[in-house]
Amino acid sequence: MARLELHHLSKHFGPTVAVSDVTLDIADGEFVVLLGPSGCGKTTTLRMIAGFVAPTAGRVRLGGREVTTLPPWKRNAGMVFQSYALFPHLSVAENVAFGLEMRKIAPAEIKPRVTEALRMVRLEGFAERLPRQLSGGQQQRVALARALAIRPDVLLLDEPLSNLDAKLRETVRVEIRELQRQLGITTVMVTHDQEEALIMADRLVVMSEGEVRQVGSQRDLYERPADRFVAGVVGRSNILPGKVVEPGRFETQGGIRIACAGGQAGPAVIALRPERLALGPAAQGLTNRLHGTVEFVSYLGANIDVHVRVSAADRVVVSQPNRADGRLPSEGDKVEVGWPAEAGVVFAEEAGRPQA
Amino acid sequence: MTASATAGTLQSLAAREMRGGRLSTAGFLIGPATIFVTVGLLFPILFLFRYSLNDFKPGVLMIDAFTIKQYVLFFTDPYFTAAFYRTLRVAVVVTAICVVLAFPLAYVIARTQSRWKHLLIMLVVLPLFVGNAVRAAGWMTLFGNKGFLNVSLQWLGLIDEPLRIMFTETAVIVGILAVNLPYVVLTLQSVIEGIDRAVEEAAFSLGAGPMTMFRRVLLPLALPGFVAGGIFCFILTMNAYATPVLLGGPQFVMMGPLVYIQFAIKSNWPLGSAVAFILMAATLVLTAAANLVVQRRYRR
Repeated sequence: MARLELHHLSKHFGPTVAVSDVTLDIADGEFVVLLGPSGCGKTTTLRMIAGFVAPTAGRVRLGGREVTTLPPWKRNAGMVFQSYALFPHLSVAENVAFGLEMRKIAPAEIKPRVTEALRMVRLEGFAERLPRQLSGGQQQRVALARALAIRPDVLLLDEPLSNLDAKLRETVRVEIRELQRQLGITTVMVTHDQEEALIMADRLVVMSEGEVRQVGSQRDLYERPADRFVAGVVGRSNILPGKVVEPGRFETQGGIRIACAGGQAGPAVIALRPERLALGPAAQGLTNRLHGTVEFVSYLGANIDVHVRVSAADRVVVSQPNRADGRLPSEGDKVEVGWPAEAGVVFAEEAGRPQA
Repeated sequence: MTASATAGTLQSLAAREMRGGRLSTAGFLIGPATIFVTVGLLFPILFLFRYSLNDFKPGVLMIDAFTIKQYVLFFTDPYFTAAFYRTLRVAVVVTAICVVLAFPLAYVIARTQSRWKHLLIMLVVLPLFVGNAVRAAGWMTLFGNKGFLNVSLQWLGLIDEPLRIMFTETAVIVGILAVNLPYVVLTLQSVIEGIDRAVEEAAFSLGAGPMTMFRRVLLPLALPGFVAGGIFCFILTMNAYATPVLLGGPQFVMMGPLVYIQFAIKSNWPLGSAVAFILMAATLVLTAAANLVVQRRYRR
């Protein structure tokens, strides 16, 4: 259990930059999630913390100790791999005992610690089984027990839930989170699943193209996304391209003028959360009100997505909670869409830089 | 009632037809291989065994009999026992060195992410394009008493007498090693490729250094590859013919050439058959025994 610090960490593979200048200070006991699409550098960052990848530049400190040049076996970092990576020739108990044996712990002490680790993941009765005799979910828990048994300074989770089916994933992520909190272990997890990230993290690190785009709590990222990319990663956004005419006034490519909060004159996009948009009578009295035609309706259960065309070039998705008394709009309906000015977040478009 | 019974009979008939059809297709497919193995391998071995129990008289050649005389002769004559132990020794040494040398290469090929991987594999296979005899002949021109190496060294004044490289046990061992190495590398490589790389990393992250990781994780998991590659190498060496003849010379007789000598030069079919049978039996028994020992040692 320890503080983990990354200072200007970079990794280049030949001419390709996998990770560029990542600086993070992770507090003792904190659960940090690196979130981003595949190829964004999140896994390389995790592997640099574990010691499998030598950084091109920068430093890693674990518990106040400089570990940048230490091999993985001298770092005391417990890792859970995407494929679980259980030793197929060893029983569950032997898998969990492996790290303890490496630490030259007395055999008399190993046994209770293995039992303890297996109890933590509720697999007491499975000690003598071989990994191949377990289900995917059970294997995942053995991998977790094996990583925790060594009492690591930091727990590293590399897409630990991606091989589980959807139902199981929902329960396991809560279990891992509770276990982590109970043990107070510093944890770094890598995932591309935003829902998973939002549920599990104390703090999120959104990465793209090797760079950290934003670090913050769920609320920070959702309400104050640093850029258009973050706005698309955490929650959904309607992105309307256009320009800021003057601070507070935005004009879409389709020629619609809307009020927004702040912004510098110039090319920009405005991001609107589908659930912050009001439809029909609810739009009454809001700063921005647009008339449009319903083009498509998706019934998603808890929510209903209504796709409304507001100009020849602009279409927005409005997410409506599914209430018993709600009248469902249907295709072709003329509706009014409205939102308060502060619900729109404006991002200036940098010239030459493609924005995801 | 009658109608349904008829329908049932028809159905079961159709099913039988289908099964029969599948069976005859399967028979058709495995037939040629079965016939080939029977005629090409099983019959000759049976005849060989029968011949090995016959008697031999110079001038008369093979005499029909039912005696273990040839086997007794083999195990009592130092010429033959020496050939037997020599063959065993060479096979064991070659197999041991081969497996040790092959592993690092196999590992690198299995784990490389390079786009030149297929080229690496081709390079390993490439030596097999050159036949044993051609290769051994090439070695003779290089390492013989009047070969390139000795002539060069003498010309440079580094040695007075030519180095005796050819016609030694070392030459034979190195020669067979060169022939067998690609087989063992490819066998090991395919097994290592089936081992999840993350398993090695897991061992590292749990505190195992490279040597411990190898001993505790990689070796047990790659064991089927070591066994298969080792058996392959052992059998090939036990039965080696061209390399021992060309690199070992007339004094260095191994079992493979011995069979040929008895059959073709001495025209002693019964003894030749017995030698062949002893060679086959020794190879089989030792392979099975080694397999058993290894399996027991690393159960699971």
